Amino acid sequence: MASPWWKVARSEEVTSAKPLAVDIGDQPVVLWRDAQGIARALEDRCPHRRAPLSRGCIRDNGWIQCGYHGWSYDGETGRLKDIPNMKDEQKFPPVYKAAAYAVAESGGFVSVNLDQKTSAPAPVAEQTFPLGGTTVVGLSQGEWIDALFDDPGLVLNIRGVQPTPYLMSELREEDGLLVMERFCQWGKLHYPSYATAEFPITLITRTRPDTGETEVVLRDDSFRTLLTAQLAPVQAARGVTQVRWRAKLGDELKGRHALALRRKGSFEVRDAVDAAALRVLIRSASHHGQQLRDKLLSAPAVSGPSVSEPSVPAPTISAAA
Amino acid sequence: MLEVADRPASTDTDHHDAPSAPPRDLKPSMNAVNNWVPHDLVMRDSWFPLAHDHAVGKKPVRRAVYSHPFYIWREDGKAVASEFHPLEIVTRDKSPFTDARGRYPVMEHYGLIWGWFGRPEAADPAHLPSLPFLPPKGGLPKHMTATIRFDCSAPISLENLIDLTHADFLHADVVGDERSDSEQVEVFYDSETITMVRTLVNKSVAPIMKFFSGIRQPTQNVRQVIRIYLRSHCAIAYGRFSPGDDVPLFHPCTPESRDRTRMEMVMNTSNAGRMFRHVMPKAGYKVSRQDSSMTNPQSPRYMDLTPRKDLHSRFDQAGQRYRLLMMELANRQDAGDFDYRDNVGTDCSDIIGLRKELFQF
Repeated sequence: MASPWWKVARSEEVTSAKPLAVDIGDQPVVLWRDAQGIARALEDRCPHRRAPLSRGCIRDNGWIQCGYHGWSYDGETGRLKDIPNMKDEQKFPPVYKAAAYAVAESGGFVSVNLDQKTSAPAPVAEQTFPLGGTTVVGLSQGEWIDALFDDPGLVLNIRGVQPTPYLMSELREEDGLLVMERFCQWGKLHYPSYATAEFPITLITRTRPDTGETEVVLRDDSFRTLLTAQLAPVQAARGVTQVRWRAKLGDELKGRHALALRRKGSFEVRDAVDAAALRVLIRSASHHGQQLRDKLLSAPAVSGPSVSEPSVPAPTISAAA
Repeated sequence: MLEVADRPASTDTDHHDAPSAPPRDLKPSMNAVNNWVPHDLVMRDSWFPLAHDHAVGKKPVRRAVYSHPFYIWREDGKAVASEFHPLEIVTRDKSPFTDARGRYPVMEHYGLIWGWFGRPEAADPAHLPSLPFLPPKGGLPKHMTATIRFDCSAPISLENLIDLTHADFLHADVVGDERSDSEQVEVFYDSETITMVRTLVNKSVAPIMKFFSGIRQPTQNVRQVIRIYLRSHCAIAYGRFSPGDDVPLFHPCTPESRDRTRMEMVMNTSNAGRMFRHVMPKAGYKVSRQDSSMTNPQSPRYMDLTPRKDLHSRFDQAGQRYRLLMMELANRQDAGDFDYRDNVGTDCSDIIGLRKELFQF
């Protein structure tokens, strides 16, 4: 099974001005843009004395330079290119290199594959989601996704939207993705959800079983799309999860609450989860989530549409997921 | 044909056992109730009550049965149900439960709109459950109807209903406590229904009757009937209180998803006093929350087979029989047999002991 592509940064976070330190699980990775503006990724560890390369800088020629002794590396191959104290001897054996990872950029996200032999796919989508952000959450990726399945209101804040415990359709497999649709209410003034006959909006989530990337669609009862968001939760070090997201509003917003989505801050991933509420949240949709994920991951090949912009190849699965 | 549950529940006290696969034989033994995984039960070829008739107009309303979408609206005043929203750009395949246009069989009766979930060609109005206390053409005032949701699977909600001893504790502030001079429980069943009759002598008066029906006596005799139509997850809860009123309740538990239940409730309090007539249907909002406080955490604990057996008392006979009947029916459907072996449309007035003179339509 192929190693998955992890959306570890939004495009605008990766620059040629300053290296960006990210991690995929316990694997530290440094990202930057080279002189051609291409995103590069190396293990965030100088092979010389193990200092984080992200504490260094980016040279004008696009190499990344360690901040400790000034060793410089080429982003495409990871090869050592320069040692400041050895100006006369600038040809180094091939083993003098940092671990380089394949990088892909599409749809406003930068993705990294930890399998060094993987070749990067061609970009397939332009970035069309104007809203975006990065949130670090004190939960493991698995728990964060389970919370998203059981009560999205604990991890997402969509202006005026109150998720209910009631589902239009429970978690199921659809085209290789885990899909569900939840009824929601507008605002805070309404009948309790358990006594409400009709709900004005629903929240659809489509989640990849390997990376947890999720497309969120808010839709009203006339089938108008009010908001679309792409969430990329990546397990980071120390049990926390980094969630990169992008969002865009629908073309046709009708009604007071829908129009209020145009105001600033209409969508965000919560950086603090209400732990007391999470502790007593009854497992419902997530109960079979892991089973469903395992089933999809053990399938010989998962095909079909990727969630969000298809910046990565069709989902194939890694044991590292 | 109705049978009487004439043997006591298993008194096996060894409530730990190796987990085993659910029995696949069509006639599982009573011990099989310990393998109860209601989350996995999906009933087909049945009418499900989806909406009160007054809730459906020209604009589609959304409903679901086992997560299958039902969009319901009226065309020329007639209710139609489709798996596709009229404004939906259809990108998914049609299910086998609808006709070529994606329409479900639908009918309007008892003031409710019923959708057929199953083979469309098998839809037959004769399979509509008998609800003799509701006017066939509807027309009860809105205050006798409500939509209430339970945060658990439909079978768990119905097991909760047929076990009325829980009411003496969980709903004591509404229906009274457990004190009575005597209590008798009888259970009758066939392949499609189960009926539990609970007779209490000199039970403490239900507080709601004390306050809103003006009952002054300290005790009352009570006859409570719960009748469940297994396939459609519909129940009748009929209480006769003396002194007091007759309170028949239509208590459907439509499985919108396999872990959430929708109840399009109708309580015919036409014959009760003015105050009680209006207040009693509203008690459902309170009672349902009390039930959900227990059944919601229960629900995930019944999603998987477990080696730990449930313990039972003699009052759980009806609940155990309900589990068994549901498992039998599910096994039969798994084997491809969707026939109705007993008629759910036969007038059940006598079975539930309905005082027909109060409910003439």
